[in-house]
Amino acid sequence: MERPRTAAPPRIVSVGTANPPTTYTQQDLLELFHCDNALVRRFFESSHIRKRHLVLPDPGPDGQVPDESGEALIQKHKSWGLRIGREAIERCLAAHGARPADIDYLMVISSTGFLCPGLASYLVTECGMRPNTHRVDMLGMGCNAGINGLVPTSQWAAANPGRLALMVCVEVCSAAYVFDMTVRTGVVNSLFGDGAAAALIVAGASHDTADGPALLDFECLMIPEAREEMRFDFEAGKFSFYLGWEIPYLLGEHIATPVDALLRRNGLKRRDVKHWVVHSGGKKVVDSIKYNIGLTEHDVRHTRSVLQEYGNLSSGSFLFSYQELQREDVVRPGDRGVLITMGPGISIETALLRW
Amino acid sequence: MSKQTIKVTSAEGVTTLTLDRPERQNAINVLMVRELEQACYLLEDESKDQAVVLRGAGEQFSVGIDLHDFPPDQKPDVRGFSRWERACRTLERLPMALVAAVDGQCVGGGLQLALTCDIRVATDRARFCLPEVKQGFLPGMGTFRLAKYIGLGRARRMALSGREIGAAEALDIGLIDRVCAPGGLDQAVAETLEELRPINPVAVHLTRRLFDESFEIAYEDFIGCFLAAQDRAIKTDPFGATVRRAHDAGE
Repeated sequence: MERPRTAAPPRIVSVGTANPPTTYTQQDLLELFHCDNALVRRFFESSHIRKRHLVLPDPGPDGQVPDESGEALIQKHKSWGLRIGREAIERCLAAHGARPADIDYLMVISSTGFLCPGLASYLVTECGMRPNTHRVDMLGMGCNAGINGLVPTSQWAAANPGRLALMVCVEVCSAAYVFDMTVRTGVVNSLFGDGAAAALIVAGASHDTADGPALLDFECLMIPEAREEMRFDFEAGKFSFYLGWEIPYLLGEHIATPVDALLRRNGLKRRDVKHWVVHSGGKKVVDSIKYNIGLTEHDVRHTRSVLQEYGNLSSGSFLFSYQELQREDVVRPGDRGVLITMGPGISIETALLRW
Repeated sequence: MSKQTIKVTSAEGVTTLTLDRPERQNAINVLMVRELEQACYLLEDESKDQAVVLRGAGEQFSVGIDLHDFPPDQKPDVRGFSRWERACRTLERLPMALVAAVDGQCVGGGLQLALTCDIRVATDRARFCLPEVKQGFLPGMGTFRLAKYIGLGRARRMALSGREIGAAEALDIGLIDRVCAPGGLDQAVAETLEELRPINPVAVHLTRRLFDESFEIAYEDFIGCFLAAQDRAIKTDPFGATVRRAHDAGE
């Protein structure tokens, strides 16, 4: 038995993504930062990432990348966050034939810098939304935050059928880094990329898979005993992210709990799920999720390709994979999908879709 | 749930799936494919058994796909093959140890089914063959599995020639793992299962899955999958008990 549904469930009606224009291969970055630490080099070379979009300063006359101050980083977060956030929003709205002035609710998600007033206030004016657009800034929830944001965004949409709710994940990971040749920062610096992804949520009946999937239900799990395994520390005026080595295994150990709870509550088995959209957290993380809930390599094809072409884009990653799935044009009416994101907390967030 | 084309029984932790169309030498028809898949889903969802034995009713394993399912005046379509492969994959992915018990003919789709199992036990009168190519179609995802057991050269010859292979040769080339006298199949299967005990479900399930994928993927891509699987296995009770026993023995 599925839970009772409203006549007009909230749907993801379009998505749009954007990245800064400059890309770096792992080799480019090792050369740019003159990295000769063999351990750090190994993280870069074994990451299964081909390239990433990043915003980095040009090397000075001495051939060294100048150290970026904490202030310069927050400026980078703001200026590039607005630029890629706006592009993602424009692409998302264009895909649905909507205008910025049509937006009634804006949720902005980021973990790569703190601003007050927040990015949402700037994006409203930069994009040309109305001054009475409802705004929410959700900060510091990390890679899982996209689904945390979908919960209130879709609930707002469900409570206001026909009105447009927009969620945008804006992560300028190159505005939140420390490069000091240690293994700790090496792991992080070999993984994350810059990108923004917007999703437009509207409650309404569907006539076609092109109308987008209904967001049926959500389930989450927090693993508080591992809270310190993924965290931002503040060091010498800069945020420095820490990733514990156990993360892939902790996620693997717990992933079945929220996924199976979500499915059971909706009368489904894992085999009933046609499409899996998993956050591109890192190679080992994807391997562990795959083996612990029995996914195939085909199920995680977009997760892998997004990791390879963009790196870990934090909160927006899963929307990049979702966009690849939509572009494939393989979804059929009635298909079920599950979105999975993982991040600090440690959090596992899941959402159930039906096309 | 009563089934018309297969029989499902369970005893002492072992489920036996019997292909049960003896009047048609256990030929695989559309209904059998569906019932096999349903039986696998039921095992996956409900069963606590640790092993599955796949066998045929009477003195045959299976003569393969039932060509009577294709109406001669209709254009054949590939969806039936898609369902067949899904059933095979569901069987292959079950979280149990799988043993095929083969007597008599093990042909075409029958051999494809046997190839999804971990271990194949056969009587000395068992005959193996993939006649599909000679008949103008393909031996299914046997094209994917067969060479892993017998090598690419032998697999090509077997598939392209449609040549029938006896039990002794099958044992010799690694297509099967054990041969017994016609009356000794139950005993040989029982002994094979005994060799597998104690069956630790998590370790068995994950090891089977890793082997399934082992020919498809580079070492660098595989190692992360192995570590994820190993991490899960070492957190199960059987491994904990093994460690405790080792310590106790050392004291």
